[in-house]
Amino acid sequence: MIKAVIIDDERLARNELKKLLQDFPEIEVIAEAANANEGIEKIEHLNPDLVFLDIQMPGKTGFDMLAELEKAPDVIFTTAYDDYALKAFEVNALDYLLKPVEPKRLADALQKLHLDENRDQEGLAEEEIAVNKSLLHENDQVFVKDGERCWFVKLSEIRLFESVGNYAKIYFGGNKPLILKSLNALEERLDEKVFFRANRKHIVNLRLIEKIEPYFNGGLLLELKGGEKIEVSRRQTVKFKEMMSL
Amino acid sequence: MPRSNKYYWWLQLGGWSFFALMNILVSILFRQEVTPHYLEQILIMMCANILSTHLFREYIRGSRWLLMPVEKVIPKFLIGIVVVCLLASSLRLLAIDLFHLSSRKTPLQTRFLLLNLESGLSIIPWTLIYYFYHYIEKSRKQQLDTLKLEALVKELELKTIKSHINPHFIFNALNSIRALIDENPARARTAITELSNILRSSMQTEKQETVLFEKELGIVKDYLALEHIRFEDRLQVRYEIADESLNQPIPPMMLQTLVENAIKHGISKSVNGGTVTIISDLKDRYHELVIRNTGRLNDAGSEEGFGLSSTRNRLQLLFGDAANFDIREVNGNTVEAILHIPLT
Repeated sequence: MIKAVIIDDERLARNELKKLLQDFPEIEVIAEAANANEGIEKIEHLNPDLVFLDIQMPGKTGFDMLAELEKAPDVIFTTAYDDYALKAFEVNALDYLLKPVEPKRLADALQKLHLDENRDQEGLAEEEIAVNKSLLHENDQVFVKDGERCWFVKLSEIRLFESVGNYAKIYFGGNKPLILKSLNALEERLDEKVFFRANRKHIVNLRLIEKIEPYFNGGLLLELKGGEKIEVSRRQTVKFKEMMSL
Repeated sequence: MPRSNKYYWWLQLGGWSFFALMNILVSILFRQEVTPHYLEQILIMMCANILSTHLFREYIRGSRWLLMPVEKVIPKFLIGIVVVCLLASSLRLLAIDLFHLSSRKTPLQTRFLLLNLESGLSIIPWTLIYYFYHYIEKSRKQQLDTLKLEALVKELELKTIKSHINPHFIFNALNSIRALIDENPARARTAITELSNILRSSMQTEKQETVLFEKELGIVKDYLALEHIRFEDRLQVRYEIADESLNQPIPPMMLQTLVENAIKHGISKSVNGGTVTIISDLKDRYHELVIRNTGRLNDAGSEEGFGLSSTRNRLQLLFGDAANFDIREVNGNTVEAILHIPLT
């Protein structure tokens, strides 16, 4: 059973989608929301597997809403018109439906979802969530919006978090957008087995380290897969060596 | 025009210096002697010519000769040349006598006549150069302006045709109607009629300059009825229409564009929605249309959207300064667009 939430500011549009989803018994619509704030509340509270999300909504757009979530669920966007906003996506990790929705297109979009590898780990993931709901898993994705550009990024693809004032710059692929989250807040939510606080300004992904070299004062210099060189402070070096020797 | 002024003085000084040098050169070649007395004469000539042609130029600019058609301006220039020659010669005569530079005892009239002929030889070329320089400059600028205007008109036409109906609106409306088919079949049927009316009118009105306000209002009513299906309780609509304004001509789709704006920027952005009010009334000399909506004026209003700028442009093209359009925020929670169209 896939738990889904529909977020759209129009009641009739939500009804129409619910009606179409009746043909797919594996999808259970557990909640509806009429705007972004309600949507955030429902998602954080109910932790759905799938969200049908309208882009144009009063107050905040669907993109703004996703960017506020700690972790992004699987999303199928719904929009009335081939929105320029959809072209802002760099990584095509999403699907979108044009309203009025064609039943065939809906079936395709849901089919694609079933093929997603995440489904295999569902048993495990659910257990983990129950144990430690607030911790982000390596396979979780976050939605990143930087100006006009948007990405769905798996945490495992992020090499480096860099503190820039109140923001954090995240490095993945050839991109380094800013997100409005402090490094300390991120550190609390990230899995410390994968993400290591190298110094005051940087958190690195241990799986994406290319080279480790000794550095001044008994510190270390890490070179990441993207070529970034990050210094590990002396205090953290001790911790780093402990972890690596395990 | 500071730039053309700068050029003017360079050309003026350069041109007259060149003329003076040529004179000296010619006298070296033919008279073989250049006396200080002769140089003084040349200097006086230069000063007198610069002064008189400069006055001539001020006069030309002041009475806008350059904007007049060629056939009207030629006689004026002919008279102008004669006056300037007389002026330049008098100045020279005056200066020569004042400084007692005249050596020969030729009668005054003869000297004056000779000086006039001599001045004519330089003033006529000066006038021709001045006039043709500006003539070429003007026609070049005109050509450029025409090109710009043509491009603007094309762009406007293209955009207005496209912007007449927002595709977002059409597809959202269709989606709502599909949901209504089960929920409220009767409303679904009227909704289809309303949508057809809007589509039809948008295809027809592109060629007309004006339509009756009554007809335009009908389309707006259909449009708002459809938006009401979509927004439900979030959209309230009020009409305050004076009956005598119904048969006034107005530009097609203009009210529609403004109402669409009110929905797009006012109602659809607010979680709780709001009210759109349409007021039409006849004042003593113009037809006043007011579109009011809940919301705030975009504070990033430095660049106004296409809807507003096209409204302004269309009014300007159709009525010149007689029509008026204004949009403003009232009481911090209402945006008001006001149209004044002159009565016919």
